[in-house]
Amino acid sequence: MSAAAREPIIDCDVHNRFKDRSMRELLPYLPRVYQEDVKQWGVNMPAGGYPNGGDRGYRADSWPQDGYAGSSVDLMREQLLDRYHVEYAVLLGQELRPLGTLPDADYAAALAHAYNEFLIEHWLAADARFRGAMLIATQDVPQAVKEIDRIGRHPGIVEVLVANGARLPYGNRYYHPIFEACEALGLPFALHTGSEGVGINGQPSVAGYGSYYVENRQVRPQGYMTHLTSLIFEGVFERFPKLRVVFVEGGYAWLAPFLWRLDADYRGLRDQTPWVRRPPSEYVWERVRFTSQPLEEPERPSQLLEVFAWNRADRTLMFASDYPHWDFDSPVDAFPRLPDELRRRIFRDTAAELYGFAPRDAAAPSPSIASPGGGEA
Amino acid sequence: MSRYVVGRVAELPPGSRKIVMVDGRSIGVFNIAGRYFALRNRCPHQGAPLCLGRIKGTTLPGKPYARVYARDGEIIQCPWHGWEFEIETGRTYFNPHRLRVKTYDVTVERVEMADVTLETFSVTTEGDFVILHA
Repeated sequence: MSAAAREPIIDCDVHNRFKDRSMRELLPYLPRVYQEDVKQWGVNMPAGGYPNGGDRGYRADSWPQDGYAGSSVDLMREQLLDRYHVEYAVLLGQELRPLGTLPDADYAAALAHAYNEFLIEHWLAADARFRGAMLIATQDVPQAVKEIDRIGRHPGIVEVLVANGARLPYGNRYYHPIFEACEALGLPFALHTGSEGVGINGQPSVAGYGSYYVENRQVRPQGYMTHLTSLIFEGVFERFPKLRVVFVEGGYAWLAPFLWRLDADYRGLRDQTPWVRRPPSEYVWERVRFTSQPLEEPERPSQLLEVFAWNRADRTLMFASDYPHWDFDSPVDAFPRLPDELRRRIFRDTAAELYGFAPRDAAAPSPSIASPGGGEA
Repeated sequence: MSRYVVGRVAELPPGSRKIVMVDGRSIGVFNIAGRYFALRNRCPHQGAPLCLGRIKGTTLPGKPYARVYARDGEIIQCPWHGWEFEIETGRTYFNPHRLRVKTYDVTVERVEMADVTLETFSVTTEGDFVILHA
């Protein structure tokens, strides 16, 4: 391992899970009426019908003795935080991320509220290196805004999270109050892959459903292109001049060629959306960030360096491992050899700037940060 | 190349595996239906502990929509990214000509007491032992 690989890193996509299917840890945070429902029906999240990869979707070596992969703080410390010198790990949950798939808006909002409380009390308190993405249910925008206002000031909450699968492209005016709330609290609006075509969401692609899971994985960049285009041309970045957006786990190599196309179209079509005052790519360089995993694997690994130059990776790319999912990217082995400064931008500094973490110079040389919960390893 | 005692034959029954550390290398030794094989315990992709993966069969390449399970117990799947390797040859299933993991020879040998040619823990009794050549 090189010296650079031993420097502290920030992991922008880590999945914390409940112990088992029952999610009984969530019950104390739900109103009594939903506790009764969950006892009878389970949490009842719509499923997509596709299998997954790895061992039930996870690294085969990431299952603790007593529960689901991703449910053990101790194992996460051993396999991720301590092993790879993670200074901060942003937790994006798992089972409840598809909240937007539920037909019942009030139930979905109650689950978001319960998860956010559970996240703070169980996870963020367990290790000072954890930071959290709060969930919202977009079925009822006023309730989502209320939840952001309620919990978004917590120092451990660093972004507001929704899924790629949706009922409308995220730039649509339907969502604008959510962006207003995010901007007011300085919280990035983050999208994570998933929920495409599930529950009440729209179909996963313009031609509906692929037959196989491997096809389903390829709708991620399609969805992200749709959402990114919508955010730009509905004027979200003009209307909310401080809003930042994060695209998690939806690919990265597609970005620059896609922006070349947007910029070219903009030259001839600008008059149809005159509130878009700058070439589309400029909004992306300034306000949109992408997480790295699963990093594309070109024929020659060095070709990624060309892609990184096209995509201005020193500003737009943030490392993510996706631990404990089976398509985990190792911070040590997933990337080609990078120039030191670019490596630091991708593995730490861009995320530190986005989430308001201390700059590198001020950071401890190793992640020996005191834990408010006393749970430091 | 040296010879290492992996264990008694009875300790490695068909379908089982044992991970051994020899000379700084982690190596998985496998018994597939009475035949013994050994693979380097490091996936050539991103360094995962390959030999801890699931021992399984796979689906054979065939006509579109024909998905038939075969070769049960002959394939190991990397615990991280799911790459499949033939335990016998170390070759990946998706690109057997270019991507493979290192293999080692394994034999079963009658070991007499005080056989000092073997490196690793001392063999104090005689019998049939699985020997790794690595």
